[in-house]
Amino acid sequence: MKLAVLMSDYRNGIDMIDRLSAESLGIILVGNGVYHAAVKEGGKTSSLLDKKANFYALTEDFETRGITAANLDSRVKAVNYGDVVDIIFNDYEKVVWI
Amino acid sequence: MGKLTIGTFSSLVGSLSLDFSVKLAEAAVKKGHKVDFWMSGNATMLAKKGQKAFKDYSFLAKPIQELIATGNFQICACEACAEARGYHKEDCPDGFIRKSMDWYLASTFDADRVLHIGGD
Repeated sequence: MKLAVLMSDYRNGIDMIDRLSAESLGIILVGNGVYHAAVKEGGKTSSLLDKKANFYALTEDFETRGITAANLDSRVKAVNYGDVVDIIFNDYEKVVWI
Repeated sequence: MGKLTIGTFSSLVGSLSLDFSVKLAEAAVKKGHKVDFWMSGNATMLAKKGQKAFKDYSFLAKPIQELIATGNFQICACEACAEARGYHKEDCPDGFIRKSMDWYLASTFDADRVLHIGGD
């Protein structure tokens, strides 16, 4: 199954991702989840980005938090709401919210 | 085009998840999809007439009315959750539906995509 995960939190939920099994996984960072795309702790990027998945971050949410597209980790693609709709409908079969 | 069912339990103003789900609904309708929007728990606060707009404050009543006007968007509040919070039929804004959770269940059965957003 192709699964899209809307990750809305920075501190919680990574362990849940480990328990999901999907043929293809897309992780869409929204809300405070966008911090995964740009914040480093102890010089290290978020362990979420080490998962085998396609990563996207919602532009409106990271820009609201003072992050620019240039700050995003290279593994993460900036998307807008319209893109999220297309991703949900065209690239994945199910979508969950964490 | 398809149908997206969104179910949300998040609080009005208190949680940005409700704002996210309304903006996602706007984007989906703009793309030509139909959207069913279900509210349970504290999200039923959105189904309350007379909300006031304050600067720099989340105000979803207006975009919801614009979405209803498109004809491709239905919004339904859980009757029990609303009554439990003291919101009665007469408190419901124009265009909102009030049903039991059966409405949500039925909506998910013929949806192409379902997004359930839990509590706050």
